[in-house]
Amino acid sequence: MTVLQRGQLKTAPGSPAGSAVVVAGLSKSYGPVRAVGGVSFTVEHGEIFALLGPNGAGKTTTLEILEGFRTRDAGLVEVLGTDPGDRAAGRALRERIGLVLQDIAVEPYLTVRETVARNAGYYPCPRDVGEVIGVAGLAGQERTKVRNLSGGQKRRLDLALGLIGNPELLFLDEPTTGFDPNARHEAWDAVRALRGSGTTIMLSTHYMDEAQALADRVAVISGGQIVAEGTPSTVGGRDHARARIHFALPAGYAAADLPVHGAAGDGLVTVQSTEPTQTLHQLTGWALQRGIVLDQLTVDRPSLEEVYLRLTGHDRQVMERSAR
Amino acid sequence: MSVATHPAAHHDAALLWHQIRYEQLSFWRNPQSAFFTFAFPVVIITIFGLLFRSGSGSSYFYGLTALQYYVPTIAALSVVGSCYSQLAIVLAQRRQDGILKRVRATPLPAWAYFLGLLAHCIMVSVVDVALIVGIGSIFGMPLPTHWAAIAVTLVLGAASFCTLGVAVASLIRNSEAAPAVVQLVLFPLLFISGTYLPIHSAALNRIAGALPVRPFNQALLGPFAQHTGFEWKDLGVLLAWGAVGALVAIRRFRWNPGPR
Repeated sequence: MTVLQRGQLKTAPGSPAGSAVVVAGLSKSYGPVRAVGGVSFTVEHGEIFALLGPNGAGKTTTLEILEGFRTRDAGLVEVLGTDPGDRAAGRALRERIGLVLQDIAVEPYLTVRETVARNAGYYPCPRDVGEVIGVAGLAGQERTKVRNLSGGQKRRLDLALGLIGNPELLFLDEPTTGFDPNARHEAWDAVRALRGSGTTIMLSTHYMDEAQALADRVAVISGGQIVAEGTPSTVGGRDHARARIHFALPAGYAAADLPVHGAAGDGLVTVQSTEPTQTLHQLTGWALQRGIVLDQLTVDRPSLEEVYLRLTGHDRQVMERSAR
Repeated sequence: MSVATHPAAHHDAALLWHQIRYEQLSFWRNPQSAFFTFAFPVVIITIFGLLFRSGSGSSYFYGLTALQYYVPTIAALSVVGSCYSQLAIVLAQRRQDGILKRVRATPLPAWAYFLGLLAHCIMVSVVDVALIVGIGSIFGMPLPTHWAAIAVTLVLGAASFCTLGVAVASLIRNSEAAPAVVQLVLFPLLFISGTYLPIHSAALNRIAGALPVRPFNQALLGPFAQHTGFEWKDLGVLLAWGAVGALVAIRRFRWNPGPR
């Protein structure tokens, strides 16, 4: 998969001039509360980069600094080679980026088509209005007034407004929060299609499955700091984590009878192994000799969600300890 | 796509025209707001017309008929209402709803957004004043002759009260408090400025003369009723208040909704 290869080419923050987004040592405090403390990452052209973290971890603050809505206290930030805090360059930068914000906010009395056409007029080379309405999944709703759209349809209109300027870089702040499963998959398809057409996408989410399904690379942010970075399959050492072999304890045997060391619980035995091939061989050889069937035999690794919970939970404990 | 290619004057002019058109479309699409914007001055001037239809000049109205006095002051009231009050409330509401932040997310420059609003306010003011003058003439008020003075006063007044509206919207934190704050400031000011009743206190007139509403009233009373043309001193005071409003607006205006 090209996705994995791209993710493995991890670059040092701040160094490459050709990255879509460069963040190095970014800090921001609100009064005594430190929202972001020394965050660094880069987003390469053409990839989908997900900033993953629990509510209050600093995702939105980081995104809003990149989008030019907030000032920063310290650090280097470059979006398409421009400092988003530079007001003079703001208009030129805004013509090249698209923003889909968390809150839905559009004039209620215009129709879908009028709303998109209005924003199209703000950009030098906008996409076709009808086409963008179709991409956002609102075909057939062109003449519906915005106030009569459902919540999900309003989010799609927001996506259409983010796309209408034909952006090189699209920011998506929790793009599918509140979507039903079908709508989420449609939105994911739309986002993948955008990457296919060369758009760089930076999204924030607290959904593991969203990061897993969409992102080429993931950075986990917790307590205002990046605690892990990588592809969805390598982040937090997922690829090096010990494999886990689960099976039901055969009737008439105790855990101590097994040829490998395992932990029993809930009727299932879990064996952790750094050499799963060898461990499995030992285990199945032992079972075959005795004519035993190992029911419910599975091999897996920690899910992205488990890694995420470990990373963000651990960070919280550290913070609580240092606060004491 | 480079910066140099498009901030050409014709591009910006087209952008401004685009914004004015859509600001108008948003306004006319909300039939209730469109109706009430124009209904209020029409109702007031009709009531005054019915009350004072056959009046003759009196010293209470500085030698004018009641209607000669009220057509300009109610015209001023309608402009203040649509430029200052409405704009402050609408902007505070749009900010709270996140609509302003959404505007800020696009390349639309702030000046184009505000000029679109100003054009809208001037349009509403012109329609309001035309309605008031039209209804006044039904009740026997002669049409004014100094149209140039009226037009200049109207545009300057609308612009000044717009900047004051934006300034007040910049200082209000909570959109739910906006109507109350706006009226609290405006209502006493209208009274001491002689909008509803002529004021015969020299001291009060001096104070009100330095505030924005009375100069606007006076600048319209001249060309409307006394056929005196431009009231430069009053226009100067209006312009000064417009500048104060602009300064506060530029320094304090926020696009982001505050914490809820």
